Amino acid sequence: MADQALDLNVAASAGRFVTPALRQRLESIALGTATIALLLVVWQLLPHVLPMQQGTRLFFTVPSRIFATLWQMFATGTIWAPLGVSATAFAIGLALAIAAGLPLGILLGRSATLNAMFDPFVTAFNATPRLVFLPLVMLWLGIGLWSKVAIVFSGALFPLLINTHEGVRNADKLLINVVRSFGASGWDVARLVVIPNSLPFIVVGLRLAIGRAILGVVVAEFFGAQDGLGVVMVRAASSFNVDVVFAGLIVFAALSLVMTGLVKIIEDRMGRWRPQRAGGE
Amino acid sequence: MAVENLAVQPSPGASFVSRHRSALLGALAVALFFAAWQAIFLIVPLNPLFFTTPSLIAAGYVDLIESGDLLHDLAVSAVPFGLGLLAAVIVGVPLGILMGWRVRVGYALDPLMTVFYASPLVALAPLLVIFFGVGVSGKTIIVFTLAVFPFIFNVAAGVRAVDRLLINVVRSLGGRERDIYLKILFPSVLPYIVAGARIAVGRALIAVLVGEFFAASEGIGYAISRFGDIFAIDRMFACILTVMVIAVVLTEGIRRAERAAFPWRASQ
Amino acid sequence: MAAYIQARNVKLTFRPPNRAAVSALDAFDMDVEDGEFLSIVGPSGCGKSTFLNVLLGLIKPDSGEVRIRGKKISGPGSERAMVFQEFGLLPWRTVQHNIELGLELKRTAAAKRRHVAERLISLVGLAGFENHYPHELSGGMKQRVGLARALATDPDVLLMDEPFAALDAQTRDLMQVELLRIWREARKTVLFVTHQIDEAIYLSDRVLVMSKRPGRTKKIFDIKLPRPREYEMRVTPEFNDLKLEIWNTLKDEIVI
Repeated sequence: MADQALDLNVAASAGRFVTPALRQRLESIALGTATIALLLVVWQLLPHVLPMQQGTRLFFTVPSRIFATLWQMFATGTIWAPLGVSATAFAIGLALAIAAGLPLGILLGRSATLNAMFDPFVTAFNATPRLVFLPLVMLWLGIGLWSKVAIVFSGALFPLLINTHEGVRNADKLLINVVRSFGASGWDVARLVVIPNSLPFIVVGLRLAIGRAILGVVVAEFFGAQDGLGVVMVRAASSFNVDVVFAGLIVFAALSLVMTGLVKIIEDRMGRWRPQRAGGE
Repeated sequence: MAVENLAVQPSPGASFVSRHRSALLGALAVALFFAAWQAIFLIVPLNPLFFTTPSLIAAGYVDLIESGDLLHDLAVSAVPFGLGLLAAVIVGVPLGILMGWRVRVGYALDPLMTVFYASPLVALAPLLVIFFGVGVSGKTIIVFTLAVFPFIFNVAAGVRAVDRLLINVVRSLGGRERDIYLKILFPSVLPYIVAGARIAVGRALIAVLVGEFFAASEGIGYAISRFGDIFAIDRMFACILTVMVIAVVLTEGIRRAERAAFPWRASQ
Repeated sequence: MAAYIQARNVKLTFRPPNRAAVSALDAFDMDVEDGEFLSIVGPSGCGKSTFLNVLLGLIKPDSGEVRIRGKKISGPGSERAMVFQEFGLLPWRTVQHNIELGLELKRTAAAKRRHVAERLISLVGLAGFENHYPHELSGGMKQRVGLARALATDPDVLLMDEPFAALDAQTRDLMQVELLRIWREARKTVLFVTHQIDEAIYLSDRVLVMSKRPGRTKKIFDIKLPRPREYEMRVTPEFNDLKLEIWNTLKDEIVI
């Protein structure tokens, strides 16, 4: 890795502005953007080129109309109310998941016994799509904020719990011994070794949790709510207003990408001390 | 630490309990949970409109199995689940290989795929159901839409992770493109396909449930929803637990198969 | 006069949860003189690292006593510091902050910590790498950080647990030379655990050979080679005679 850095420095100082690495990045960005642009253009022109049945025409929308609708939703401000409702459920659910997941993850990481006892439940609930509980949750909590929060919470909890647990468990016993040999107390050990070691794991968990939380809001609003952006979308779908559906999807997707992008930036900054390796979910 | 490296043989005297401590603790916890669940309603009055007990759930199970309803609903849901996953494999794996193998194709498609993977595509489910209909086709399309991306991404990652050295070895021994695909690419990528399957299965389950919650007249998701509507909580729980068991068996099963078949891969 | 470090009748048995008990040390006696460089060689698993950890205060023996300057050892203390085989550097800290670790735990003021760290960084030859992270360093450099960190709290005793085992042979030879240079300046009592007889002879005043598990002191050799030790001494007849003697004592203890 250090060699690579050396090469780039040499190339740069040799007077070439466009280094091989830079060219690679430019190329990938250019190709990626071009593909998306191409797809949008083809999509836009499709109805003019392809004959379509009446039924399909009802459904078929084009990027220009979607973006016009999106623009209108923002310009007229009609988006803010439902978005606010969705965002509230998202935020509360995620906050609760963090508040529950982190301490529980630490607890399970420190106590092998507790971990063994909780393991079947964590495994079962993590593997099961939380959606399956929605009818039950709606039965108990009604149609409204709290059933949404419950679904968001149950989706976001597990990445946080599991990743925090992993981070705590992963703390190198050698490092704990090293620190203890210099006279560290239990709290010192946590502060000096366990927490710094866990932070990258927790941040990854947060990134995953955000994706699950958004998913939770969407499905909860589809079936168990009276307001929110998801409700707007499902009503639009039922009345064949396809533009609104896509517009809503774009809003959710954009929010998801922005938030996970921010977390990824934090993740990378925190990972300065790690050797570069292909990370993953 | 050298201290930890003392080579010890497992003692034949160590009891069954100490060797299987974790599993036993887990089983104990589950047993305690159900026992407490059953017992709590001996003290607190049971409102059958909202709650149920393990014994009632068991009775509900017997009911559903004897009437054949459970199996029928599961079979109905299984069709779009299976078809959609199959389609996802057939489309996703080759596309992933293409994206991983041809660097420029990867560059071109990666941002697009990332956007798709990160978007809650399930939001399109109502549209898809309305357009393609309430039966197998609608649900299959939703399953496919949600399940294809894990395959694309995992396979692409797997192809990119192929050790170029191995490819050079085959080439130097006179192998052609086909040999490279068969002898190097495929075995290297197989673990990634299986890992992708593990994620895709979860998403496929969501897809089936969404489709059935939204508009269906059959299937396990529909059954859960319907039992909820008529306050048949015991049978609702029975169906939910069935889905849970299936989910766990599938994902954990694949995970174990991964560990057994590809022990060198750290499964995530 | 009592020896600087005294171990008497130390007995330690490991009882891992699902396996049979392991007797690591049994009736282990040892004396270390102030300021000496003592190596412990022994077969794998003989308990030499275990004993080092007892000295460090991280493990308590089942019975027997270990005293340093007459005082019983009951836990970690700042008069003892260890250099670990796998380095044990905190990966999220820079070189400088790793070295400061012990001083932080002693609540030393930041300015003083920095001063000590800077001095040690030049002593071990890592000037310019203060702000590097461990993953950017080679094995030899990491171990120098480990050494600097151990020296930072100014301990009287340096415990070194096969510190060069993770390095390649060439780096290892150079590190041995470096270690002697640093030791001459720092003047600590050193207990050095190793597998390698060459290394033990080259570095030490005395070499203690341990029996196989459970570990006991089998024989102690005085190394009468002059100091400062030159690399060329490693190929002299005296050196090889010693090596053969020690090998003959050791080889019966080795279990393949």
